[in-house]
Amino acid sequence: MKFLASTGTKGGVGKSTFAILLTYKLISKGKKVVLCDCDVECPNDHLLLNRKLSNKTKVYQPIPKLDKRKCRKCGICAEKCRSNAIFWIPGGYPKFIHDLCNSCGVCWHICPFGAIKVSKKEIGEVYSVKIDKNFWFISGKSKPNVEETTPIVNEAKRKAIDVAKKINADYIIFDTAAGIHCNVVHILRESDMIFAVTEPTPLGLHDLKISLELAKKLGKKALVIINKSGIGSEKRIQRIAKKYKTYIAGKIPYSKDVLDAYVKRDLKNVHELLKLKVGL
Amino acid sequence: MKIAVCATAPDIEALVDVRFGRCPYFIITEIEDGKIKKWESLPNPGINAFGGAGIQAAQAIARKGVNVVICGSLGPNAYGVLSSAGIQLIPGVSSITVRQAIEKYIKGELKPGFSIGPRGFGYGRGFGRRRRWRGGR
Repeated sequence: MKFLASTGTKGGVGKSTFAILLTYKLISKGKKVVLCDCDVECPNDHLLLNRKLSNKTKVYQPIPKLDKRKCRKCGICAEKCRSNAIFWIPGGYPKFIHDLCNSCGVCWHICPFGAIKVSKKEIGEVYSVKIDKNFWFISGKSKPNVEETTPIVNEAKRKAIDVAKKINADYIIFDTAAGIHCNVVHILRESDMIFAVTEPTPLGLHDLKISLELAKKLGKKALVIINKSGIGSEKRIQRIAKKYKTYIAGKIPYSKDVLDAYVKRDLKNVHELLKLKVGL
Repeated sequence: MKIAVCATAPDIEALVDVRFGRCPYFIITEIEDGKIKKWESLPNPGINAFGGAGIQAAQAIARKGVNVVICGSLGPNAYGVLSSAGIQLIPGVSSITVRQAIEKYIKGELKPGFSIGPRGFGYGRGFGRRRRWRGGR
């Protein structure tokens, strides 16, 4: 079982399009694939797949809860909280600010009176959809205004791995969020192959560098995928790829067929248009 | 009565800082009979915090027994904890010195307000750390 990741720093560059085309390409070769949408803050692979999200499991974040009968108002919890999520003034009970809590657990471990209990807060959902016997789709989705969405990404990842083991899948394809933040790092560091999707525009070029730099930092090599190939010069992308000792591993042409399929949510029929130069 | 004002420098003649959680200093003045009796500066412990700067700052000034806070704007977290600690909040003050702000308050020209700024306004959390390029959050 191989973990593939479709990533990219720029938004709207084609990470999801590429992930889905790659999925269909592998399925057409008779492989079993689990596609996992890890862009939990605004998941939209299901839209491109034309599926409704179903079969959900809730994701919770552990948060502290005060037992006022046991609390001696010592303030140790507030002093030790690295996220500054506990407000305490001498003589008062500590006040937990749940929006700032990252669930590290220091407060409930350190409290000398055992006055801090662990409670939970719902932060999102993970959906698992069976599309056919060779294709499962997992998607995470966070609730609005949740600061720490990484637990949802990890839960989606765990679910994808579980399903992949159950159906004996050949590949798990992770479609990450845009950017280089925790949610992306958590996926990339466990991936066997990273595809950095870009487009031949100045923005795409600039953001590609950031993605490649992140992969380098993680001790991995990211292969470059050019979406909308044909709208601009690809020489510079080639140069950057060379600088990071990688290469352009695939191209999606800027064509009406792709756009048409994208709009009609029927990317299945255009997977041949994705040209890959890497053996999978 | 004790008043805390966000300041750009550790002096009563310094300008009021528009930020709360990320302002470098607080000037804490003691008012008696409509006059400034004495003042002290307090470095903001939250200035370099990764996140929750407002909470740290609020905690520090609440511990000083402050009754009123004068500032430019403050985020929802700091607002919540300060008001729950029974501290009167006067946001929306800027472009004047700390001394002028306090004199205005004594004259009754400053009224408690409700203008809450965005969280993570200074820097640290919110800017850069996990902000998405597509501005989704």
